[in-house]
Amino acid sequence: MTFDFSLIFSSIPKLLSGLGLTLELLILSSFIGLVLAVFTLLMRISGRWFLMAPAVAYIYIFRGTPILVQIFVIYYGLPQFEFIRTGVLWPILREPFWCCVIALSLNAGAYVSEILRGGVLGVDKGVLEAASALGISKSQRFIYITSPIAIRLSLPAYCNDTISMTKATALASTVTLLEMTGVARTIVAQTFSPYEIFISVAIIYMVMAWMLQKGFGLLEIRMSRYLKATAG
Amino acid sequence: MKYRKLKSVALVALSMTLFANSAQAETLRVGMECTYAPFNYRTADGELTGYDVDVAKGVSSLIGAEVEFVCQKYDGMIPALLANKFDLIVASMSITEKRRKKIDFSSPYRISVGRLVGKKNGNFNLFNADGSVNVDGFDGVKVGLERASTYENWFVAKVPDANILRYDNNEAMYLDLQNGRTDVIMTNPMKAFLKFLSKEDGAGYEFVSPAINETEYFGVGVGIGLRKGNDELLGRINTALKQLTNDGSLEKYALKIFPFAIHPDKWVDLNY
Repeated sequence: MTFDFSLIFSSIPKLLSGLGLTLELLILSSFIGLVLAVFTLLMRISGRWFLMAPAVAYIYIFRGTPILVQIFVIYYGLPQFEFIRTGVLWPILREPFWCCVIALSLNAGAYVSEILRGGVLGVDKGVLEAASALGISKSQRFIYITSPIAIRLSLPAYCNDTISMTKATALASTVTLLEMTGVARTIVAQTFSPYEIFISVAIIYMVMAWMLQKGFGLLEIRMSRYLKATAG
Repeated sequence: MKYRKLKSVALVALSMTLFANSAQAETLRVGMECTYAPFNYRTADGELTGYDVDVAKGVSSLIGAEVEFVCQKYDGMIPALLANKFDLIVASMSITEKRRKKIDFSSPYRISVGRLVGKKNGNFNLFNADGSVNVDGFDGVKVGLERASTYENWFVAKVPDANILRYDNNEAMYLDLQNGRTDVIMTNPMKAFLKFLSKEDGAGYEFVSPAINETEYFGVGVGIGLRKGNDELLGRINTALKQLTNDGSLEKYALKIFPFAIHPDKWVDLNY
């Protein structure tokens, strides 16, 4: 077999035409997922069983099933019901884009809420005791003391999850969306050169992952300034 | 053992040359899958039937030859023909340049076409009265088709701005047509009829375009295959096919299965 390097260079611009959709999926799902995660976290650590139980069930279901299956259930499964197809949500559910955003958001919500919970549990008890000794209320403690520390503690794992999410957007190609992997599969089907095209698309994902890693790295350094100050 | 085998091969070869020279009492052995409904398959009674079978019988009766069917797996069809296991392939085999390097083909007796399927009374205005594409009619119409199919090539060339949804398999495409995620699909009309339109699920749907058969995109179609160097036989087969086309026999064979004809409406001469 011959490896056509020129095909890599000529296919990258075509593949980049799918980058916009990949980014849209990633940014929207990450944002909605983060909001979901915060609510789930609050339910999860509320200490009240009727709030904790649904949160635990939600996390369990979405961590326990493949994203591809979730996308298929939402995209192909839901329209089997007449009331879905005639319901108010159909204009959203009929669009493959929104089906993917829903699946990816729900998935991100489940994972990120657990990451944040890890952060919250990691906050030093002494700091909170000191705060309560100073007469700071419970909700103020959470907002001004627990949250900033928890967020910093969660950053490395959150970065990890965002990179996973970037790659999970590729699954959207299975429901007709022409994001980067969808474009790649279409080109492969036309050129019969899977090696060159898929390696090109892999390179683009790697560049994205590298940028995310760098970005989160900088953020982490910035949020850890106070630690450096005490060390110095 | 080996010697006997050689001898029988030699005998077959000899008889072949004899048969080719004398037109009478000739037997044509026809290779087909025998499992490819509705083109060549066995009924519950074990009888071979289908469009390919009808064509093979029609051609051999016009030639004045007996016909004998040989069942052969599709992937070994051309090697078996070359190994002289049979004389003709009448197995819904599309005429392609790659295959033509190995064997000869008759003119097509079945065409490769694409056709659009959509909701009944969908008020589509996709084609003009003369059968040409009305590009403006595709505004706001979602078209489902299989990724990298010949239909995609045709569509991208004819309606570049169309809103195309690319599917990895037929089932998903039909599901989305029924869900209303896609308005029309472009597909093989024979499959569409057998698997969808003639079934309960497809009751509210119909063909919303004429048959599109531009050979530039879809190929010339399906022909009868035979070993190279049989120009005289090829000539007689082509004459017979031409007669079957013109006297309406091919249409009659198709109408047994489909509500439409599946042969080229104009006689196509392959240039050898």
